[in-house]
Amino acid sequence: MPDPRLALLAFGAVVAVVALLVWPRVGLVPRWLRLRRLGERVRVEDALKHIYTCEGQGQTCTLESLAGRLEISVGDAAGLLAHLARLELVGSVGEAPELTAEGRASAVRVVRTHRLWERYLADRTGIPAGEWHDHAEWMEHALTTAEADALAKRLGHPRWDPHGDPIPTAEGEIPPRRGAALMRASAGDTVEILHLEDEPRAIYDQLVAHGMAPGGRMDVVERTDRRILLRGDGREWALDPVQARNVSVRTLPAGEHARESGASLADAGRGETVRVERISSACQGTQRRRLLDLGVVPGTEITPEMMSAGGDPRAYRIRGALIALRREQASWILVERPARADEGAA
Amino acid sequence: MTRNLVRLGLSPARWDVLIALAGNPNVGKSTVFNALTGMRQHTGNWPGKTVAVAEGAFAHGGKRVKVVDLPGTYSLQAGSTDEEVARDLILFGRPDVTVVVVDATRLERNLNLVIQILEITDRVVVFLNLVDEARRHGIGVDAARLEKELGVPVVAGVARQRAGVDELLEKAMAVASGAIATRPFRVAQHAGGVEEALQALVPAVEEAFPGIANARWVALRLLNADEAVTEAVASGELGANGAGSAGPGEARHRLLETARGLRWDLPGDFHDALMERTYAAAEGLARNAQLTGLKRARFDLDRTLDGLLTSRWVGFPIMLAILAVVFWLTIEGANVPSSMLAGFLIDQAHPWLKSLGSGLGLPWWLSGFLFDGVYLATAWVVSVMLPPMAIFFPLFTLLEDFGYLPRVAFNLDGFFRRAGAHGKQALTMAMGFGCNAAGVVATRIIDSPRERLIAILTNNFSLCNGRWPTQILVATIFIGALAPSGVAGLVSAAAVVTVALLGIFFMFLTSWGLSRTVLRGEASTFSLELPPYRPPRILQTLYTSLVDRTLIVLWRAVVFAAPAGAVIWLISNVRVGGPSLAEHLVGWLDPLGILIGLNGVILLAYVVAIPANEIVIPTVLMLTVLTTGAAAGAGAGVMFELESAAATGEVLRAGGWTLLTAVSLMLFSLLHNPCSTTLYTVYRETGSARWTTVAALLPLVMGFTVCFLVAQLWRLLA
Repeated sequence: MPDPRLALLAFGAVVAVVALLVWPRVGLVPRWLRLRRLGERVRVEDALKHIYTCEGQGQTCTLESLAGRLEISVGDAAGLLAHLARLELVGSVGEAPELTAEGRASAVRVVRTHRLWERYLADRTGIPAGEWHDHAEWMEHALTTAEADALAKRLGHPRWDPHGDPIPTAEGEIPPRRGAALMRASAGDTVEILHLEDEPRAIYDQLVAHGMAPGGRMDVVERTDRRILLRGDGREWALDPVQARNVSVRTLPAGEHARESGASLADAGRGETVRVERISSACQGTQRRRLLDLGVVPGTEITPEMMSAGGDPRAYRIRGALIALRREQASWILVERPARADEGAA
Repeated sequence: MTRNLVRLGLSPARWDVLIALAGNPNVGKSTVFNALTGMRQHTGNWPGKTVAVAEGAFAHGGKRVKVVDLPGTYSLQAGSTDEEVARDLILFGRPDVTVVVVDATRLERNLNLVIQILEITDRVVVFLNLVDEARRHGIGVDAARLEKELGVPVVAGVARQRAGVDELLEKAMAVASGAIATRPFRVAQHAGGVEEALQALVPAVEEAFPGIANARWVALRLLNADEAVTEAVASGELGANGAGSAGPGEARHRLLETARGLRWDLPGDFHDALMERTYAAAEGLARNAQLTGLKRARFDLDRTLDGLLTSRWVGFPIMLAILAVVFWLTIEGANVPSSMLAGFLIDQAHPWLKSLGSGLGLPWWLSGFLFDGVYLATAWVVSVMLPPMAIFFPLFTLLEDFGYLPRVAFNLDGFFRRAGAHGKQALTMAMGFGCNAAGVVATRIIDSPRERLIAILTNNFSLCNGRWPTQILVATIFIGALAPSGVAGLVSAAAVVTVALLGIFFMFLTSWGLSRTVLRGEASTFSLELPPYRPPRILQTLYTSLVDRTLIVLWRAVVFAAPAGAVIWLISNVRVGGPSLAEHLVGWLDPLGILIGLNGVILLAYVVAIPANEIVIPTVLMLTVLTTGAAAGAGAGVMFELESAAATGEVLRAGGWTLLTAVSLMLFSLLHNPCSTTLYTVYRETGSARWTTVAALLPLVMGFTVCFLVAQLWRLLA
């Protein structure tokens, strides 16, 4: 029988070694996998995508911006551009590199795979929204064209990614982006958010932290050159032009207005009948379908009927059936509270 | 056509009329199926009971009629596997008539599905079920009015009492033969954007498939880029539907092109818009068919019961009391029949078979192999396993029929949500205390993929019926003995309960870990429907739960136990250079066993007794006697148990057992791989070798780790 001290020590050592190897993100195996993926293909594709994005936004792409985007030195970026030129993916290597037809096609393919993968994550998996982009950054390089096409077929050839960006078709067609810049709206308009640009990340994160999401409706209260003031769902936003540039909207026909309160089903009291306004765009994919199938559509009347012994979930009377929903789900269902409107104003 | 049906999972036996049975989950679809076919498929008060497609057949008016029970779904948008199966069967299986079972108490939601089915096929009969329940809740439905509006026959009835079933069958046969012509209701106008695209596409569909009956639906599915429908259009298979013929390939190609182009102009919330219109239509239909002037029963039993059973203060105590009664009835009630069965199968039939063998002049090895090995293991499993299951499952099923179990899931969901699991896992876990294989099958009630996998992989942490006797025996001999004789029983019972609670702790811990690591990416859709309470049907429940759960599980266990008996007998009797194979194996496994507080005998017993935990103790006893040469037992390879716990303790202590061995065994009995019956069931339910491997290795690794740590710390501190 071995000495227990020795045995425990050996056990600790084994656990430490295993943890060192496979710990998510920082373990040796994940690191090695990541390094292996960061090969030439990734750099080439990321560079193409960057130049393509610059073109799309009407900005000039420079060596510095490329180096910054790829997190490499300016010297490396120059070498990479020369390499792209040798592959005939980039035309001029001067101050502003331009994509060749072939280069553009490759870039579009990468964008397509990226957006398809985000759509896949949103529709078919339980990965939280905040992680879609990072996952897609990996997968855009990992999937072959054939795999991306098979994925598109499985998903029913989706047209938009979950952020509202159009997904290029297999033939490389890209539908025009929908909506107009938010700064073009004028005071008195009511707008609906169609798209939030997710690059640069810092601004995107600010917008999301402020509670902006595609599908959200807001009244434009005031617009000057320095800021735009919006109101809806019981809150106010003041955006500067830099932030507003990342928001695309459509103007709703006159007569339609943003909601005054930000009430969701989770706020409804027991026995209070509320009317569904819409399901928040934070709820996508299978979750959203399930709610729609159960009859949670705009106009549906829902009454919270009872609370479970633990407090969450609650059971709601939805179109005659008693359905239990968790608090998080209920908070996705935005509602009007007709009976309480006066109280809220007081 | 036959090829198609085989692909859809239907046996291609011949029939004259094919009836498909569709409906929302938990509307009594299976009850209608049983009433039509005279079969006894179990139907619980649960949304989403039927997952596999059930088939039944009968003769009616000289015709062979086949009934296919589709999975219960809320919708036919092909968003989940169930919906895809149901949709494909209606579209490509081409039933002669589709019977949609509708719950009269939740008409609007059910009409949503009816409308979707009417878009695909016009050969439909609606069965308005549970009209009695609806009346009790003050809801009256005018079936004649509904029939007029839907344009297909509507039959009102109560399937549980067979009311309306004969009329349903007549109407269904009439629609199938074409004697009743239908004019199905269709949503007239879809939301802006969708309707324009439809107007543009429908002519192209009609050109590609002249005479097609459901052009609008096909157009909608094409706009939705539905893979199956797109392929059916491309291949022309859609036209063979009887509802039109396939036009030239060129027209079909043009149709697909047009659809592809139109898709870009659709609004982004296309699916939402469709559902909104469908529900608006359902709402209108339901409102028109509503009978007014009905009074709700003055005393609303459902609300009163719900108020009590889900109340903050008495909800949990009531639940614990009910579960305690169920377990007490199971354990107490099983004692007598279990010992009777053991007395008959082991004490009487076994010697009789042995003497029969020698009377027939069988060689010793053949009679040993057959009667001591195969027969004895099987008899053991049957006598230990059958009685508790035959009591536990019907009790559980009664609670299920009544509608109480969904309330338990509702109450407990808060705890399970924090562990990333579904409240219904509370029930599959409770089922696991009876039998893990049955618990794994029961996870079908969880309709969210991630939560279902978690429930399957962690079910083994429920201490099953096969492991309770081991726990009780070992606790009595080694732990109860530490206490004064007055409280010995109490102490050993407390030890066993502690192990069971430890299992629940590990279940939560593992659920939490799984939902945050390997299962993170699996899709999750929580919803839990609380059906109305229904008076349970006691006799039918007894019958169906016996057939459905008990006998099927028992059969699987027997299938696995018989070869295990053979192996146990063989390793004890095949000699390799003197000692038997078993002694060699025990010798090899001893160092590993001692490292984790056990010994070689126990490890070998767990290896050969993988088919059933019930035979672990008999195998341990037999192997202990075999390796120590103690004066007990019935010979090499013959499993046995001793009359008294004290005598068993003597044999085990002679085998070198200490208190540590007992504690480690109790832990290992909780934390080790599931029995092969359960593993096979996991494979059947997940269809994945990978998840089955995880289900086997996860608890095993945890068991080795926990036992190792306990043993080493014990030795360090002792």
